[in-house]
Formats: sequence, structure tokens, C-alpha cells
Amino acid sequence: MRARNPFLQALLLIVLASVIAVVANAFASRTRRLVLPGFYPNALRVPPRVPERVLPTPVAPAQPAPVTQTVTDVGRASARPDVTTTAPVVAPPVVTGTTATATTTSAPPVGRAEARPTLGDDLARFQPHPDKAYVEISGEDAAALYAKGVLFLDARRSAAYEEGHIAGARPFSVWEADVDDKVNALFEERQDPAEQNKPIVIYCTGGACEDSHMLAQKLWGVQFNNVYVYKDGFPDWQKRGGAVRTGATP
Amino acid sequence: MTAREALTHPWLTVRVQIALGIIFIVAAWPKIVDPPSFAHMIYNYRILPAGLINISALVMPWVELVIGLCLILGVWVKPARWIVAAMLVVFMIAISINLARGNAIDCGCFDTSAANLTYEERIRDMWMVLLRDAGMLLMIAQLAWAERKNRLAA
Repeated sequence: MRARNPFLQALLLIVLASVIAVVANAFASRTRRLVLPGFYPNALRVPPRVPERVLPTPVAPAQPAPVTQTVTDVGRASARPDVTTTAPVVAPPVVTGTTATATTTSAPPVGRAEARPTLGDDLARFQPHPDKAYVEISGEDAAALYAKGVLFLDARRSAAYEEGHIAGARPFSVWEADVDDKVNALFEERQDPAEQNKPIVIYCTGGACEDSHMLAQKLWGVQFNNVYVYKDGFPDWQKRGGAVRTGATP
Repeated sequence: MTAREALTHPWLTVRVQIALGIIFIVAAWPKIVDPPSFAHMIYNYRILPAGLINISALVMPWVELVIGLCLILGVWVKPARWIVAAMLVVFMIAISINLARGNAIDCGCFDTSAANLTYEERIRDMWMVLLRDAGMLLMIAQLAWAERKNRLAA
């Protein structure tokens, strides 16, 4: 209480509050903790711009294995802070038509063909889209993907997840401190490029909710190329009478 | 007693100071309990760079709590008052920017859960928040005025 200068006193109060905040955060539970410094790639750019994509080094078509390449793109690398910087990168698929551009022809066609998931007829239209982080889908599409056993991720807060979520969906709250760990774990789980190209559906509360879009950006940052955002989210799922489960487990 | 004397009377000053302190502690608590939700609220404002969202969500509620306690306990009242005034001005600017953008948001002032409101209801709430913050600035002005008067009288 010896500081007489009000400016100094104000500064001391802010420093004191900051120290308490950091200590409190260190002891906070998993669902209440924030990562310091907070960083959400493209958080202020939803819907996203399409950043430049790092293309793999051209590889001889006969080479069967996917190329291993260091990810150097700033946006994408920063989106996966804990993932090892060397990750299997599969080339983007030829998007349309039979005439590919110079960049897309550098992709190894054989490896690419092997990398594609075996999709049923119903899922044939849900092909990987490496040029964009996500594609928004309707409730019908979400139901079709759900029926095919596609992975669903719930981007809402854990408390909301526990109150009710799409049966089988995993909790992936984009605002909680362990989201990067979960993304990294999913990446490890789906190391195989064929697995990475399988569709993933993300949802939150629909409407203006952007949590699912932000999580999609994160997944795209670790090379998941077939991510879908269920635009109308959980309220729409409930309206449709979809399978719902409560509790902390999928 | 004149209006000026009434407005700068210690009886009123103490109560205004305590009321402000209570308001800030009440505002701080839900944010301290659930920082990720408050970070989400800050994100909705679309003003801060992404890298500053979490640190703001962590520190701001504790600043509110500390200055609220200072006002109630009568410790370092002057710097606490300055911080309150600065925060109120920042809040008002942030709300005004989003009103100008037509971006209807929950202010996250006393509650960090998203309210189930229509666009028009949210916009109306934002105007109410501006009025409320202006009222609190008047409370700060009263405290400053009373202190100045007491200093001159002494």
C-alpha cells in the first residue's frame, strides 16, 4: 500500500489480477482451462479464405507410398502446434474433368487412388476437397453420412455435449484447452491417408454458431481433407428425431 | 442542503462506491467460473486479434474482481475508479462498433451463456448495455467529483 502514484497503483492492480488469472487457469479443470496464448487459426476469418496450399513435391507415378513432406505453410503449421512438423501429405486430387493442371498432375495418381476411401454409392458425392477447409451440409446429408457410420464431432462446450449429443459423436469443444490434443490424437488415429480422406462431420448449435467451422479449420490444418459442417447443427438433428445420447461418452 | 452538496455527500459517495464494486464483482464471477465461454463472447465481438482473445478472457474478469473488491473495501479507490472508467469506455466502444456493423451479439457482461434472442432483441439489448455503461460512468463521475470537492475543502 506504499505506492502513492495512482498510475502505479492501477498498474499493480492489473498485474495482481493477471497473476491470479494465470495461477487460477493453471489449476482449472480441463473444461474450464484456456490455452495461453489463445490462438484459433483463422478465428476472425470465418467463413474462411482459401489460403495457399503447399503442394507435395512431384513424385514418380509408380511410387506407391504417399509423399512425406514438411509442412511449411504458416497458417496450416500453426493450426497444428503439437503435431510433429513432418506429416504424411497426400496430394490434392484432380478436382474436375480429365485435364488436370500442372500442379495437380504432379500428384501421384497411383498413390492417390489408393488413398481414397472406399465409399459406397450413397457417399460417392462426399469426396475429399483439399482446396477448402469444409463444406456445409444439410440435415439430409448429415443423416445419410451418419447412416454410413461416418465420424461425427461435437464442437460445442463439454457441458452442452453431456446434456445431449448425436449418438456416437465425440466431444471436440473448440473452446476448451484440450482441443489440440484431441485433434492430434485423431490425426494419429487416422495416420493412413485413406483414413484421413474419410468424411468427418462437425456440428455445433447451428444458426450463427461458428465453433464447427473453427474446428473444421483445425482439422484441415492437419490435412483432413474431407470435413463437413452440419450447418443447422444439433437443434436440427433433434427436430429430425435423430439418435441422441447424454453423458460424457459418445 | 443544495443539490451539489447532496450529490457530493459522503453518504451517497460511499453507497455509489460499494454499488459499483458489487456490480463489478457480480459481473466478474460467471467469467471467472467459465473462461472458455467468455473467450467465445469476446470472439463474437470480432475486434481483438485471435491471439489476444484467450488472455483477455482470462485476465479481464480478475481485474473486474480485484477493482470491485478495492471499491468495496475502500483500498486504492482512485486507481480502481480509473480502471473501471477505462473498462467502461472500452466496453462502450466495442458495443458501438458492433452496433454500427449490425452485428447482434450477447454482450457477455453478466452472463457468458448465449441468450436465445432474436436479432432485434439482441440489438435492443446492446443499446440497453450502452445506457447502463453510461450510467455507471456517471457513478464514476460522482465519485471523482466528491473526491475533488473534499480535497478542495481540506
